[in-house]
Amino acid sequence: MQDQLSALLAKAAAELPAIASRPEFEAAKARYVGPHGELTGLMKQMGAVPKEQRPAVGKLINEAKTQLTAQLDATLARIAHAELAAQLGPPVDATLPSPDPGPGTCHPLTLVREEMCRILRKVGFVVADGPEVETEYYCFDALNTPSDHPARDEKDTFYFPASARFGNVSRKVPDEKYLLRTHTSSVQIRTMLKGPPPIRIVSPGRVYRRDTTDATHSANFHQLECLYVDRNVTVRDLKALLDYIFASLLGKDTKTRFRPHYFGYTEPSFEVDLSATHLPKVKKPWIEIGGCGMVDPTVFEAVGYDPAVWSGYAFGMGLERLAMLLYGIDDIRYFYQNDLRFLKQFA
Amino acid sequence: MKISLNWLRDYVPLDASVEEISRAITFLGFEVESVHQTGAPRLEQVVVGEILTRARHPNADKLSVCTVDVGPAGGVKTIVCGAHNCDPGHRVFVALPGGVLPGNFQIKQSKIRGQASDGMMCAPDELGLGGEHDGLLLIEGKPALGTPINDALPPGDTVFDIEITPNRPDCLSHLGIARELAAWFKLPLAYPQEKFRGALPDGAAERRDLLASVRVEAPEDCPLYSAFVVTGIKVGPSPAWLQERLKAVGLRPINNVVDVGNYVMLETGQPLHAFDARKLAGHEIVVRRAADGEKIVTLDGRERTLTSRMLVIADAQRPVVVAGIMGGEDSGVSADTTDLVLECACFKRQSIRATSRQLGLASDSSYRYERGVDPHTSLEAAYRAVDLILETAGGQVAGPAFVVGGDVPWLREIVVTHDFITDRLGFDVPAADMRAAFDALELTVTREEETKEPARGPAWTVSIPSWRDDLDRPIDLVEEVLRLYGTEKIPADVVRAPGLLAEDDPIVAFNRRVTDYLVGHDFHECVNYTLRPAREIAPWVEAAAARELALANPFVEDQSHLRPTLVSGLLETLKLNQSRGVSVSRLCETGRVFLERKGQTVECAAVAFLVAEPTGERSWLKRESPDFHTVKHHLHALAAAAGVDFARQPLVATGSPGHGWQEGHSVGAGDIAYGWCARLGLVDLALVRALGIEGRVYAGTFAILPERLAADVTRRRFTEFSQMPAALRDLALVVDTATPAGDVQKTLVKLARAAVGTAFAVESVAVFDLYAGKGLPEGKKSLAFNLVFRSPERTLTDEEVNLVFQRIQASLEQSTPYLIRK
Repeated sequence: MQDQLSALLAKAAAELPAIASRPEFEAAKARYVGPHGELTGLMKQMGAVPKEQRPAVGKLINEAKTQLTAQLDATLARIAHAELAAQLGPPVDATLPSPDPGPGTCHPLTLVREEMCRILRKVGFVVADGPEVETEYYCFDALNTPSDHPARDEKDTFYFPASARFGNVSRKVPDEKYLLRTHTSSVQIRTMLKGPPPIRIVSPGRVYRRDTTDATHSANFHQLECLYVDRNVTVRDLKALLDYIFASLLGKDTKTRFRPHYFGYTEPSFEVDLSATHLPKVKKPWIEIGGCGMVDPTVFEAVGYDPAVWSGYAFGMGLERLAMLLYGIDDIRYFYQNDLRFLKQFA
Repeated sequence: MKISLNWLRDYVPLDASVEEISRAITFLGFEVESVHQTGAPRLEQVVVGEILTRARHPNADKLSVCTVDVGPAGGVKTIVCGAHNCDPGHRVFVALPGGVLPGNFQIKQSKIRGQASDGMMCAPDELGLGGEHDGLLLIEGKPALGTPINDALPPGDTVFDIEITPNRPDCLSHLGIARELAAWFKLPLAYPQEKFRGALPDGAAERRDLLASVRVEAPEDCPLYSAFVVTGIKVGPSPAWLQERLKAVGLRPINNVVDVGNYVMLETGQPLHAFDARKLAGHEIVVRRAADGEKIVTLDGRERTLTSRMLVIADAQRPVVVAGIMGGEDSGVSADTTDLVLECACFKRQSIRATSRQLGLASDSSYRYERGVDPHTSLEAAYRAVDLILETAGGQVAGPAFVVGGDVPWLREIVVTHDFITDRLGFDVPAADMRAAFDALELTVTREEETKEPARGPAWTVSIPSWRDDLDRPIDLVEEVLRLYGTEKIPADVVRAPGLLAEDDPIVAFNRRVTDYLVGHDFHECVNYTLRPAREIAPWVEAAAARELALANPFVEDQSHLRPTLVSGLLETLKLNQSRGVSVSRLCETGRVFLERKGQTVECAAVAFLVAEPTGERSWLKRESPDFHTVKHHLHALAAAAGVDFARQPLVATGSPGHGWQEGHSVGAGDIAYGWCARLGLVDLALVRALGIEGRVYAGTFAILPERLAADVTRRRFTEFSQMPAALRDLALVVDTATPAGDVQKTLVKLARAAVGTAFAVESVAVFDLYAGKGLPEGKKSLAFNLVFRSPERTLTDEEVNLVFQRIQASLEQSTPYLIRK
C-alpha cells in the first residue's frame, strides 16, 4: 500500500506541473480524487486491510491525501494566476501620449466671470440675467439717458428695423425701437421693475457697441455689473465692496481708488482704479478697471422706488478687460478667435 | 481738451509741481490723458558756445573735430561731432562734462575713435525739445557765450490733455479748469477784468451803414444773440504772447482777429464769430432756419446743403454761418478787413447737435454748444474779445450794439443738510469742511441754519452759479463735497453681507450645468460673435426668418445678423483651427440664439457642440470615429439639464439639400413654440466642404426659451423597484430597412404589456443587435430585442414567462408585418 501511495504521489508530482488549463486540471483532479480516481480506489481497498494494520494504513492514506490535495491546490493557483497574467499583455509604456482628446477647457471669459460671481456670492449677490435684445426704455430711458444723448445715436448703437418683433422681449413703451443692449444695466432696470428692494445682484453678460474691431475694441464684449439697493447704502459701502472684490481676486495687498467721474445713472459717480504693480504687462502704478457710483434718484423714480427711502450703488466693468489684465493678454480678438492654443492656456 | 499751465497761471497763482497739479485734476474728476512739456526742460551744464574751427576726424569719415568757445563756462573746448552742420560761426548748445541730458544721458570727457572730446554739441531731440534728429540746434540771435540753456531759450510750458466729462461744459475752458484748481489748492481766482462793458464809449460813431439790424426769427433755437461793431482795425499777425498761447494748445495762429476769437473761446468756453462788416449784404443779420436745399460753402471749402431744421446766421441774401458750427467761406475776416461785426451767441444744444451730425461737420465751437454754453456769462466773453481786438488790431468800438434775448434770469438754490450728505457718504466730514467746499467752488451759501436736532448739523441754502447747470439736487452737492474732500480719503470698511436674497437666474444655472458637462467630456468652450454675416446663417434658417434677424444699421457686412444657431460659429472656429494646423475635434458654446416663433423672433438660451472626425492627426492607437449616436448621447444630457427627458421625445427627420443638416443623418426634436427645440446629427457634407473643413462633422444644439427655464421644475418622486430576480428573453425581428427601430420597439412594448396583463411587469424592451446582409432578403434588417420581465413580489417561473413570450410572438405574427427570426 505504501508503495502504491508513493508511486501515486510521484506520478502526480510529475504530471501536475505540466497542466496548463482548467479543463486539463479538472480531468486530472478526477483521475486522482474523483469517485473513480486512483486515490479513491486505494482508499476503497481499506476494507481488505487487516484490522490491526488499519490505523497505520489509514494514517498513510491521509498523509498521501493531504499531500495530493496540496499539489492540486497549488496547481489550480498556478493556473488561475496564469489566466490573469494572460489577460494583461505586456506592461504599458506610460510615456506614450493618450490617444484620446482633451481634457476640455472652459473659455477664459467663463473662468473670470465665474470667479467674479463666486466672490460676489460670498457677500450676498445673486446672478441675474436679461435679454441681449433690448428696447430703448430699458437700455436708455430708465437709465436717465436723454433721447438726444450721443450714446443712443445710430452711429454707436445697433438698432433693429421698426418692423422687427421680438416675441419674448417686453416693451415698456408702445412701438419703441429694439436694439442690442450697450450695457448690462438694462438687467438692473428689469430686476428693479420685477419687485421691491432689497436687491443685490450681479449681472454678467454680452453687450454690443457699434465700433471698429481692433486690439481693444470688439463689436460685442462682456460686462459685469453689480447693483445693491437697500436702506442706508453709502459711498463707503461701495468702496468697501470694490476693495473686497479686488482683494479677493488679486490678493489682499491690492488697492482700489475712486476718481470722480460722470455717468447719467449714478450720482456721485466714480471711475475705479486698481493698484497694478503686480499685474503682468502693466507698467503703470494704477490702472482703470471700471465705473461705479450711487444710483441716481432719477433711476429709482423710473422704477417706482422712493429715493427718500432707498439708496444703492452700482458697479460695472468689462470682463475682457479684466481677463486681459489677469492673464496678460494684449489683444481682445483672441477671445473670439478660439484658437485652441489660446483656449488651452487658462483651464 | 488741451490746457496750458502758463495760461492757467493768468488766473490762479499755481506753484504746485506738475505732478501735484495732474493729480488734482484727476481727483477733481477729469482724466489727464497726457502731460506734454514744451520748451527746454531744466538742464544743468548745458550752455551757449560758438564753433571756432571744424576739421575732419583723422580716423572717421563722418565725424568732425571742432573747437568750441563756451566763454566763461570753460573757454575753448575740443569736441568730436557727428552732425553735418557743425560749421564755424554757428552758436550751439554745448553739454559740458558733468551735465545730464534727458533720458539720463551723462556727459563725460571721452575719447571717440582715439580723439579726445570734451563735451557734446546738441541736436534739438537730445535737449528734450522734440523734433527730428537732423543736425545741431543752431541758436538764432547772439546770446552771450556760456549762457545756460534755460536762460537762452524762452521758458517752456506744460500742457495737460484733459478729458472733460459731458456734465461739465464749464470746464471746456482755461477759466473753468482754473476755478477747479483754485478750489482744490485753496488759492484765489482772478477773473479777467474787461474794460469794455457793453456801453459804447463817448463819441462812438453810430455805424448803421455797417450793421443796420439784428433779427432773431428762431428764438427757440437761439436764446441769446449779440453783435458788436469794431471799426478801423488792421488785420495782421497776433502778438507773440497770443501766438504762444494758441500754439501751446495745438492751434495754428491765423491773424489777430481770428486768434482773439479762439483765445477767448479757450479762455471762457464761449465761441465767438467775426464777420467782415462790408460783406454782410443789406448790413443785416438774421438768425433763422435755413430753407430746404439752401446752400453754403463753409470755411473748409465744402458746399453744404441745408435743411429747414438747421439754424443759420444769414444776411439779407444768404446764410453766412451754419449757426454755432462753422462760418461761410466768403463772409469772414480777411487780410483787408477794416470793419468787423463780432457775434457772441447762445444756441440750443439739441439744434446744434442735430445739425452737426446731419452735416457731418464738427468744430471746437459746435463741440461746446452741443454740451452747453452758459448764456448768463456770454456777454463777458464778448467784452473780453472786444478788449483784445482793440489791443491787438487797433480800431474802435462803434454803434450800434445789439443784444437780442438773454433776458431769462438765472436763480437756482438747493437746500442740503449736513446730515443728508453724511448719510450718503457713510462717514463723517466736518460741517466746516463741507461749507468750505461750497465756498471754494463758488457755490454761495446764502443761508445756514441749524436743523431741529442740533446734533444733525446745519442746513445750507446753496446758490448755484449759472455755469453749474449740472447741479440741481441735494445729491449733486454730495458729489461736490466729496470731490473737494478727496475720494482717496473714503475710509476702508468691511462689506455688509446679509444672506442671499434669491437664487441665481435659471439661465445662468443652465449654462453652468451644460458647460460643466461638455467640458467634462473633453469639449473646448468657445465664444463667438453674436452677429454673423447673412451668407453664414442662410443654411440654418428660412429666408423669411433670416430677414427678421437683420440689424437696421450693421457696422460691417460680416456682422449684420443675429445668430439663429451656435453651430455656424463653431464651424468657423473649427475652420480657423484647421487652417492654422491646430488639431481639434470637440468644441462647444453657450449663448443666445434667435429663433422664429409664430412670425416673431424669440431670444433663446442655447448650447451647442460639435464633434469633428479627427483628420490629419495621426495617433499610435486608433480610436473609434464619432458618429450620430455620439452626439445623441450628449444631447440627452444637455436636455436633462433643462429638465427635458430626451428619450421620450419624438424625433423628426430634418435636413434638405442646401441646409445645414445632412438629410437622413440628422434629426430634430421639440418645437420652440412649446418652449424648446433640439437639432442633432451630421452637418451637411457639402456645406462642410464649401467651408474648407476636412472630415465629417457631427453637431448638436439645444435651445430653450428663458421663461421656460424659469418655470418651476417639479421635484422628482421616488418610484419603488422590485427586489426580485428578472426573467430575460431575446427576440429578433426582421423588418423593412426603412422601419425605425423606435417604432418596432414601441410596438413590441405594447404587445408585451398586453400579453403580460397584470400578472407581472415588462420592465424593459431594448434593442441589442442590428443586422442586415447575408441571410436576409434585400431591403430587410434584423433587430434583436432583449425583453426583461419581473414581478414586484415573487420569482417568476419559466412556465409563466414562456407562456407570455409565446403570446407575444403570436400577436406579433398576427398584428404586425414583422417576421420573427428563428
